[in-house]
Amino acid sequence: MVNFRKNFSKLFNLILAVAFFIFGLLVDIIGKNFETQPIYKDVFKILAFLFFFFYIKVNWKRESIPLRRLVAILILGVVLITLTLTLSILSVNFEFQEKSNILIPVNFLTIFISNLVTLIVGVSSLILLFAIRDIFYYKQKKNTARNFLILNLLLIATAISSFNIDPLDSRLLTKILFGLFIFSTFIFSFKMPWIVYLTKKDKALTILFSFLVIVSFSVLSVLYQDSSQTGKLVLYYSPVIYNFTKGIFSLIVIYSIIAFLSTIFHLPTADAFDKKMNEISSLHNLSKLITQVLDFDELVSTVTKTTLEVCEAEASWLEINKTFLKPNHKYKSFETDSSFAVIAHLNISPQDIKVINESLIINLREKIATDRKPLIIQNFKMESSGKENNSKVGSLIAVPLITRDELFGVLYATKSMEYGFDQEDLDIASAFADQAAIAIDNSKLIEKSIERERLVREMSLAQGMQQKLLPQRIPEIKAIEIEAFFSPAFEVGGDYYDFLMIDEQNLAIVIGDVSGKGISAAFYMSEMKGIFQSLCKIFPSPKQFLVKANEVISASIDKKSFISLVYATLNLETGLLRVARAGHCPIIHSSGTEAKYIRPNGIGLGMGNNKLFEKFISEVEIKLSNNDVLVFYTDGITEAHPTGGEEYGYTRLLETVKRNQSKSAIEIRDEIISSVNQHTNNEPPFDDITLIILKWFGKKIGDKDERF
Amino acid sequence: MNDFKIKIREQSDVQIIDLKGYLDAHTASEFEQTMQKLINEKKFNILVNCKNLSYISSAGLGVFMAYIEEVRKYKGDIKLANMPPKIYNVFDILGFPLIYEIYNNEEEALKKFLKKS
Repeated sequence: MVNFRKNFSKLFNLILAVAFFIFGLLVDIIGKNFETQPIYKDVFKILAFLFFFFYIKVNWKRESIPLRRLVAILILGVVLITLTLTLSILSVNFEFQEKSNILIPVNFLTIFISNLVTLIVGVSSLILLFAIRDIFYYKQKKNTARNFLILNLLLIATAISSFNIDPLDSRLLTKILFGLFIFSTFIFSFKMPWIVYLTKKDKALTILFSFLVIVSFSVLSVLYQDSSQTGKLVLYYSPVIYNFTKGIFSLIVIYSIIAFLSTIFHLPTADAFDKKMNEISSLHNLSKLITQVLDFDELVSTVTKTTLEVCEAEASWLEINKTFLKPNHKYKSFETDSSFAVIAHLNISPQDIKVINESLIINLREKIATDRKPLIIQNFKMESSGKENNSKVGSLIAVPLITRDELFGVLYATKSMEYGFDQEDLDIASAFADQAAIAIDNSKLIEKSIERERLVREMSLAQGMQQKLLPQRIPEIKAIEIEAFFSPAFEVGGDYYDFLMIDEQNLAIVIGDVSGKGISAAFYMSEMKGIFQSLCKIFPSPKQFLVKANEVISASIDKKSFISLVYATLNLETGLLRVARAGHCPIIHSSGTEAKYIRPNGIGLGMGNNKLFEKFISEVEIKLSNNDVLVFYTDGITEAHPTGGEEYGYTRLLETVKRNQSKSAIEIRDEIISSVNQHTNNEPPFDDITLIILKWFGKKIGDKDERF
Repeated sequence: MNDFKIKIREQSDVQIIDLKGYLDAHTASEFEQTMQKLINEKKFNILVNCKNLSYISSAGLGVFMAYIEEVRKYKGDIKLANMPPKIYNVFDILGFPLIYEIYNNEEEALKKFLKKS
C-alpha cells in the first residue's frame, strides 16, 4: 500500500508533466496562425517542464564519482548532437515564417517537431542539471549547496525573464541575468576539489573527457543558437525553455573548460599526490587495525603489508624479540639469532633474509638497537661484503619498533633499485612503525591479560581440588598426638599429605610434593591419593610401597614431572617407625635433647625407571622412645624466605624442633609456624607449606591416665 | 620479577649452558626451549653450569629429567657443574646425584666428556 502510494506520487508528477505538455501542444495547434500568443501557452509549457523536473528529482540517484558523471554528460551530449544532425539530414519539411518577432510554423509537422525536439532537449537539460549537481556536490562544503542554489536561481531568473515574449525578441533584463549567470558559473567552477583526489590515470581520463564534453556542448550551442533552424524549434516552443537550455549548455561548457585546465595544472603533481593518498589510506588501515589486535598473526602480517604500501617497497619483513612471543607460540616464525625471530615476511623468502643479513658488513639490528633511529642503505652492493650477492636488493630501510623505551623489533623494507628510498619514505615508515609498535604491544598486553585470567581461574579450581584431597580430620589415636598444618600458596604448590590405619596396629603417614603447579599438580595429587589409599594395605613395607607407587606413577606421569614423597608406618604397639624416602625432604626425629634428620636414600617418584628406583631406595627403622617427636614437612618450610632474603633452611628448622621438643604436638607446630613467619616477616608464602608433628607417648599412656 | 638468563657456549664439542637467576615454573619453558633446540641440532654433550643459579623449583628440575633419557640414548649426557651449596641441596634431596654426574667445576666435567669420546 505504502509502496503503491510512493509509486503513485512519482507517477503523478509524470502524468501532470505529460498532461501539461499535451495542453501546450494543443494550444500550439489551435493557435497555429495566431500572431499574438496567449499567456497560458507559456504557462502550460513551463508547468510541463516543472513537473518533469520534479519527476527527475524524485527518481534521481546520486553518483559519488565525478568522473562517471562526466562520462554520462558526454554521452548525453553526443546523443543530442546525433539526434539533431539526423533531423537536419533527414531534411524533414519544417519551417517558420518570421513576422516581425513572431515565428509562424508553415505546417502542423513543424509544430510536432518543435514539441518533440524541445521535449528531448528540455528533459536532457534537466538531467544535465542534476548530473552537474552531483559533480558539484563532491566533497561538499558548507557553502556548496548555497553556491549551487545561487547558480540555479540565476538560471531560472534568466529563463523566466523571457516569459511571454515574442520568440525573436529579447529583453535587456534577460541579457543582464544571463551575463550574471555566466559570471557566477565561472566563479563557482573554480572550486573543484574532486580533481585533486583523482589518481594519475583518472586525471588523464578527465582531461580527455572534459575536452570531448567541451567540443560536444560547443557544437550543441551552435546547433541551437537562435538564428539556426533547430534553435528556432525550441524558441518557438517557449523562449523560457530555450533560455534554460542555453544556460545549461553554457554551464557545462564553462565548467568543463575549467575542469580541463585545472586537471592539466594538477598533472605534474599527480604522482606525488597518488603516493600521499596511498600513505594516508595505508595509515588509515593500520589505525583501524589497532582495534583488531586480538589476532597477533593477522596483525603482524598486516604490518608488513602496509609497510610495503607506504614506502612502495617490493619486499618487507618484521623481526621481533623472542621474549615477545609466547612459549610454544604457533606463529610461523624463524630465528635470526638467539634472541630475535622473523615473524612475518612478504615477497621475500626466509633464505633471502638470511643471505641479506649475512652479506651486510654491519649488523643491521645491532646498529639500530644502539642508534634507535631508522636506517637507510641506498646502495646495498656497496655495503655488502660481496660474496654470494645474487639477492635482488638494491636499497633497504630498517626502522626500529620501540615501546616503553625498549627496542622489541625491527621493520625492514627493500627495493631492487639502488637509491630507491628517499627521506620521505623513511619518515613515513618511521611514523608507521610507531603506530605498529603500539598495536603489537597492545596485542601482547591483551594476550597476557587473557592468559593471566585463565591462570587465576585454573588456580582456584586446583585449590579447590587440593583442599578436597587433603584429610578433613586428623585421626585420634591414644598412643600419639598428631597435628597437621597446611597453608596453600596462591599458585597451588602440589603439597599432599594423608594418614591411614593400615590395620589395628599400624598407622601409615604420607607426605609429598608434586612437581609443577596448578591443575596438573592437583591431578597428580589425586592420583597419589588413590595409590596411597589402595597400596598401603597391600604393601606394609615403606620401601615396597614406594617401589610399587613408582611403577604406577611412572606409567602415567609426564617426563618432566615427579613426586617427592616420604612414606612411614608406625606400629602403635611397639613404637617401631619404618621410613622410606623418595626424594622428599628428610624427616626430623627428636628424642630428648637430640634432634636429627632421618635421610634414607631414594630418588623422586617418576624420576627413573623401576630398576633404577629400586636400586637407590632404602628403608630405615627407628624405635621411638616416650615423648619422641617426628616432624614431616615440605620444602615450603625450608625454602620460606622474605623477598630477596635467605631461606629458612634446615638448620633453623632443626633448632626450633629441638628447642621445643618437650612441648605438646600442637605447641611445637605453632612454634615452628611462628618461627617461619617471623623469618619471612609474615610475607605470603611462595609455595604450599605443610607440616605434620607426631608425638609418641608410648604404650604406657594408659598408665599415665590412671595416675591422674 | 626475578630475572632468568641462559647463555650457550661451545667448547670442544660440548655445549655449555650457563644458567643465571631464578629457574621456576615461569622461566622453565625458556630453559626447555634451549634444551630442545640443542637436541634438535643433534648436540647431545650438554654441560649445565649452575654457578649463577640462585633458585631452582621442581619445574626447573623437571627440564633436566625431560631430556636425559633421549640424550643418553644418543650416547650423550647432561652433566652439571659449579652448583652453589643451596642449589646442590635441592638436587641432592631429590636424588639427582644418583642419576646425574655433578662436578665441582666445569673443567672436571669437560674432562669427563673428553675421556668418554
